[in-house]
Amino acid sequence: MHDWPAYVRDRLPPLGLRPEREAGIVAELALQLEQAYTDAIALGAGDVEATRRAATQFADWSALAREIREAECRQFASRRTGDHCWNGFAHDVRYALRWLARAPVFAAAMIGTLALGIGGNTAIFSMVDAVALRPLPYRDTARLATIDTVQPKQPEIAPFTSAPDFLDFRARSRAFETVASISPVWSMVMIGHGDTERLEALFVSAGFFPMLGVQPALGRVFTPEEDVPGKDARVVLISHDLWVRRFGGSRDVRGQTVNLDGGAYTVIGVLPEHFRYAGAPMAGTASRIDVWLPMSSNPLAGSLRQVRYLKVIGRLARGVSLQRASDEAKSIGAALARQFPDTDTGFVIGVNSLASQVTGRYRQSMMLLLGAIAFVLLMACANVAGLLLGRASERQREIAVRVALGASRSRLLRQFLVEGAILAALGGALGLVLAAVGIRALTALAPRSLLFPGDVSLDLRALSFTVAAAAASALLAGLPPAWRMVRADLESALREFGRGLTSGTHRLRSVLVVVQIAVALLLLVGSGLLIRSFQRVLDVNPGFDPRNLVTISTQFPASAQTRAQRTSLYQAIHEKLMAIPGVRSVDAVSRLPLGGMSLGRWIFIEGEPMTPENHHDVEYRVATPGYFRTMGMTLRAGRWLDQHDGGASILVNEAAAHLFWPRLDPVGRRVKYGPDSPDWVTVVGVVGNLRHDALDIDPRAEIYTPYAASPLGGPVLVIRTASDAGPLLPLLASAVRSVSSDMPAYNAYEMSTLVDRSTAQRRFVMWLLTGFGAVALLLAAVGIYAMISQAVVQRTRELGLRMALGASPRSAMALVFRQGMRLLGAGMAAGSLAALLLTRLMRNLLFDVRPLDPESFAAAVGMLMLFAVLACYLPARRATRVDPMRALQR
Amino acid sequence: MVATDMSKGSAEMILLALLDARPRHGYELAKMIETGSRSKLQFHVASLYPMLYRLERKGWVEGKWVEKAGERRRRFYRLTRGGRKALADQRRTWREFVNALNHLTGFEHA
Repeated sequence: MHDWPAYVRDRLPPLGLRPEREAGIVAELALQLEQAYTDAIALGAGDVEATRRAATQFADWSALAREIREAECRQFASRRTGDHCWNGFAHDVRYALRWLARAPVFAAAMIGTLALGIGGNTAIFSMVDAVALRPLPYRDTARLATIDTVQPKQPEIAPFTSAPDFLDFRARSRAFETVASISPVWSMVMIGHGDTERLEALFVSAGFFPMLGVQPALGRVFTPEEDVPGKDARVVLISHDLWVRRFGGSRDVRGQTVNLDGGAYTVIGVLPEHFRYAGAPMAGTASRIDVWLPMSSNPLAGSLRQVRYLKVIGRLARGVSLQRASDEAKSIGAALARQFPDTDTGFVIGVNSLASQVTGRYRQSMMLLLGAIAFVLLMACANVAGLLLGRASERQREIAVRVALGASRSRLLRQFLVEGAILAALGGALGLVLAAVGIRALTALAPRSLLFPGDVSLDLRALSFTVAAAAASALLAGLPPAWRMVRADLESALREFGRGLTSGTHRLRSVLVVVQIAVALLLLVGSGLLIRSFQRVLDVNPGFDPRNLVTISTQFPASAQTRAQRTSLYQAIHEKLMAIPGVRSVDAVSRLPLGGMSLGRWIFIEGEPMTPENHHDVEYRVATPGYFRTMGMTLRAGRWLDQHDGGASILVNEAAAHLFWPRLDPVGRRVKYGPDSPDWVTVVGVVGNLRHDALDIDPRAEIYTPYAASPLGGPVLVIRTASDAGPLLPLLASAVRSVSSDMPAYNAYEMSTLVDRSTAQRRFVMWLLTGFGAVALLLAAVGIYAMISQAVVQRTRELGLRMALGASPRSAMALVFRQGMRLLGAGMAAGSLAALLLTRLMRNLLFDVRPLDPESFAAAVGMLMLFAVLACYLPARRATRVDPMRALQR
Repeated sequence: MVATDMSKGSAEMILLALLDARPRHGYELAKMIETGSRSKLQFHVASLYPMLYRLERKGWVEGKWVEKAGERRRRFYRLTRGGRKALADQRRTWREFVNALNHLTGFEHA
């Protein structure tokens, strides 16, 4: 007597079902064996033979278990019985992997396409995250706000506040828990601890570091006692970089004395390694600050109310909204204007979130890049979906028959989704590698004003983004074929033996190709607009001739205080440099063009009422008489400055001439620096405009005063040479240093780099978007090509028949072309519409180019046409070579 | 894949058709398929039970342990309403499929 249930239990692998269900199945299978055995005995077999016959009933026990598991897991199984259904899923995964392994080139193409899309997105996301999305690295940043004193009359002027106004505001404000002031970046010369070096310094009020929640890496920050107005505390905090570079990272640095600008300062602490103040005190200058000092030590600390040089930020008190703080600031501003009409009339105090101010500068171009790369991923998905659909229509007969014979749709659906998911997962993994490479490239290529090395990394946020992008890709790439399966009119598909399925697939694929063409056009138009803007920016005349022109900055030692000392030092430098062969001329100015806005100066125009509200805030530069000719500027009226001119003569630029004396001759007109000032200064000439901020920002009114009237402590030298000045730079710099060992020479570069730098960010964004446009163009061409090729293969029979009936190869070609051109037309129409709507959002990024610039549109359309025609031509040529006989035999 | 689906699909229809007449147990179904198709259908008994379970999950058949007098306790399967409808659908689809095949292959004119 056999124990058949035990026989089954011994052989059948565990099913992983509920125990009762599993026991029932074992009993039923045992019964089958027992019955087979009994029948065999009844037919006269012996025990051994009957047992053998029974055993043949179930030969492959593990296959049986798998099939049962799969059957038990079908539709709603988990809901009904609580059993899990991963077996069928695992089968789908294995099936998909096998299929990928069978078609390695096809698989590589799809995975590569997705990897490009996902990797590109991850890299760009990481950059955008670092530049514009991630919260600032300070405590509770939502409560940090800038307090900006602006002039509604001249909104282009950067907001600065005076020291007395800052102190009054701080005393009166209740909406802010802390209010702190920050100076512009100061140049200080450090002597000792190695070579004489020029350092970047910031002066901040004592509340600054606690307000940000920044703890020093070593030592302490400033105490309120060290920042009492009128007291010069002579303490300094140094940056981590300076600490390592000049003090060897020694902990003994605390208490050491450093010589800054001739004064002795005690080091009280070292700031954390990656600390940077995000709100650039002045455009493009906050990249590297070496030393931080208390505001009370600033040379301007005791200055008057009209000297506006401070940036102010504050931390909102708990529960106070930005709006309430803003209202309070306005009323304080109004009270100050009533109290000090001479200096505070015409100013309004506003409050803005620090985060939005910091990220606002780049947010738009960053979002543009993120949006554009998302479109590239969309195209990559459309391409993969198209390939999967093509494959689905190749399997049309199999699928039609499978469905008709009872293979469930959900099973097919899942299969397609699993295929999409596997492709996306592999694409995502490869994408991460590409992203790491991409981030490295982005960091290397990005202008320093935008990104710092180390700012961007593949962190958890980037990884989450990659996973999300891959999941989206899985859906986007897997869904169209899967959707097609669900929607397919399977009965008619069956009737027509697959034709219905093919035509539906074909329609869906056409839609995908149309989407790709549309997106490619959109990206091409977008990059075209940026390229044209960039060209226009480069066409802007900077107002000087940057060829064979170099600049070196220097800082006179603190001992050179008097006019005579400074003048003779400058003379010595001038002689040294002029003695170098190849040097044509040497001059000096207080500030170079294209370096961002300077603090400016008030002037009052003769003939206008001498009241505070009639002041004009103008750019102000001190220059040696030869500066204008050395720079290659043009004289529009009057004469140049010469060595006899003192403080009573100025030059103005064209912008000032037009603004203050429209349609009049400005030469001989007079201005004053204050309503009560007894001295008039006279305009002796008008020079062409220079671009102060950047090439794409209009010049503002400017006056130049002679060097003799106000010898500079830190002249910026400009040197014109006979030929390419680049190789001369080290020689020129060392000549400057040789005048005095206490005098640094820094920022030595060719003026053409200054022009390049001012366009660096625009160029960076333009190149990236152009890259995306090129990838989009390629993807669209591949999409069109793949689709048309397949259509030609599918229509071989029809083409053969037509040719057998006398159609020429030309007409076969035309047939194929018509199909491609219809798609192109639809895609172009959709893309143009999208571009019409979306390029408007780019308006602020464009320069001298309208969002609907016809040339950009035409270039994009032309480029896309060219690629589309090529993508159609190759398969169309194949269509002309169809052999009618062989085609009909198929 | 085509071959397995073909046999699976057809076998499912065969099972439904056999159960249309009256409830039967697994061994009886196996016997009937083997003898009824004169062994033409490559249908292994190992596939029978998973298929029955699958049909059960789909709600097309219902299995129940029944003990009849003088017989062993067996699991009997009967067709549900859903099963009857599925059978009718499949019969129609099959007819259309066969017609389509005939039409395409010219089999009916041969």
